[in-house]
Amino acid sequence: MIYAEHLRKEFKKTVKEPGLKGSFKALFKPKKEIVVAASDISFHVPKGEILGFIGPNGAGKSTVIKMLTGILTPTSGQCRINGKIPQNDRKKYVKEIGAVFGQRTQLWWDLPLQETYNVLKEIYEVDDEKFKKRMAFLNEVLELEKFIKSPVRTLSLGQRMRADIAASMLHSPKVLFLDEPTIGLDVVVKDNIRQAIMKINKEEQTTVILTTHDISDIELLCDRIVMIDKGKNVYDGSLQKLRENFGQTRELVFETDNSANLTEELFRKGLKLDECDLVFENKKNNYKIRFNSAKIPVGEMLSYTLSLTKVKDISVKDADIEEIIRNLYRQGGASDE
Amino acid sequence: MKRILKIYTLLAAQNLKRLMEYRADFLTGAVSFLIDQAIGIAFIFIIFTQIPQLAGFTFPQILFIYGLSQIPKGLDHLLTDNLWCVGYFIVRKGDFDKYLIRPINPLFHVIAETFQVDAIGELIVGIGLLIYAAPDAELHLSVWTVLLSVIAVPFAAMIYTSLKIMTSALAFWIKSSGFIIQMVYGMNEFSKYPTTIYSLPVRIFVTYIIPFAFTGYYLSLYLLTGENPLFNIGGVILVSSVLFVISVLIWNKGISAYESAGA
Repeated sequence: MIYAEHLRKEFKKTVKEPGLKGSFKALFKPKKEIVVAASDISFHVPKGEILGFIGPNGAGKSTVIKMLTGILTPTSGQCRINGKIPQNDRKKYVKEIGAVFGQRTQLWWDLPLQETYNVLKEIYEVDDEKFKKRMAFLNEVLELEKFIKSPVRTLSLGQRMRADIAASMLHSPKVLFLDEPTIGLDVVVKDNIRQAIMKINKEEQTTVILTTHDISDIELLCDRIVMIDKGKNVYDGSLQKLRENFGQTRELVFETDNSANLTEELFRKGLKLDECDLVFENKKNNYKIRFNSAKIPVGEMLSYTLSLTKVKDISVKDADIEEIIRNLYRQGGASDE
Repeated sequence: MKRILKIYTLLAAQNLKRLMEYRADFLTGAVSFLIDQAIGIAFIFIIFTQIPQLAGFTFPQILFIYGLSQIPKGLDHLLTDNLWCVGYFIVRKGDFDKYLIRPINPLFHVIAETFQVDAIGELIVGIGLLIYAAPDAELHLSVWTVLLSVIAVPFAAMIYTSLKIMTSALAFWIKSSGFIIQMVYGMNEFSKYPTTIYSLPVRIFVTYIIPFAFTGYYLSLYLLTGENPLFNIGGVILVSSVLFVISVLIWNKGISAYESAGA
């Protein structure tokens, strides 16, 4: 369905020294610098899948989405979606996709929301009957009824986001690109939007590519994730596999009764673990140790700790997915430098 | 074609509705434009109370040239005003994204989005001056001269449009080209008067390089003299067609250089 092959995008940037003087200098003697926003991104998404496309800020997520939607032309590499190359076949291609950029709206800002849908209906050549059905469906999923007559500028962020998603779905696209659809929303609205995305995906087999910084979005929605950092693929696979591969990390939290003076040295040497497998944090009598349970079983870790000191309270937790992803980001960054 | 018209009216209607939404702003805009035009006309009248003839043209003839030059200008202004915004901020702010993900030609979409009511001022002034000056301007009126001139007017407007497309498309590379549009567009002042009043380099410049002379003077010359339709009218059509093709090529090239803006 969606193939991205070795996508690369470079931007030219003028480097300016700070201040007005710097700006003047740049005006007459511009120093050009090439910034690589995406250096080599490849992945494949089958039909009907919800793909979580994640990475830290500045990783190149939006750049890739913009290449996939045809907004940017790749410097090299290629993407094909439904057998079409977005940049070459623009008019036909964009009829098959919908896109929501969380930070930007495609609604007519000054007019009642309904007007946007009426115009989009004509632009995408949706016939009257289909339009009616579609509006009913979107109304049901996204609950637009309450504010459909209000001017867009008066909508709350959550309403606007729902309205934007509806606008991108009006022509029943085969692929939906959602660039941070839950950004800045409260928990309830986030949940509504997730439900809607799930429903749309289930009922219409819409392929969804979703970028987000919200881990719960990924946990609840995505079958698979592709993670990128500094313009390169870092991970591609299911969430479960990610947990299996990187999810051996456990977190041991305990409180001692008096200053037992436990040190990182003590744990690392005693258990023969290097810094990848054991991270030590300590504030007064409270300790937090993250360790790799593949290298040292939880039981052993517990008994070793208890042999060192008396504890008031102790608990062991599974590392959450957020932690795993943070680790991956860190590793991705480290391997590059 | 039917679809194109339908979409055009639809998009332009959105813009008008938007204008109505902010009534006070809309009315102020319309009034200020009328005042602007009134000052422009008063200015020519003042000049001509001092100078009886200009480069062999009488006062009514000069008024006729001035009036005719306002019509292509007004037509272009009425229909393609949004190109200014492309140069000034649409590209720079990354708002051009939306035109690229809709199944309509992006250039058409940009243009269709505004219907600039202010331009009616230019059209009223242009037509008014033509009616006022025509009886005394010693025109060579015949079916031919009138027909050819009427045909040439949209082409003359397209010269404006093409220059605006070219200069606004520069923003795809340099991010903001508003002042460049303004500089090139500002040269339309030359179209209001006979080119013979200018020195040779200027004359060559406004005929062959930034060909605004075709949008007013040469067009009027045909009606005033009845001579040389090949250059005066054919020139308008040829220059405008060539310019339009070039401008679309630049525009399309610009789209592939578009860099959007960080989200």
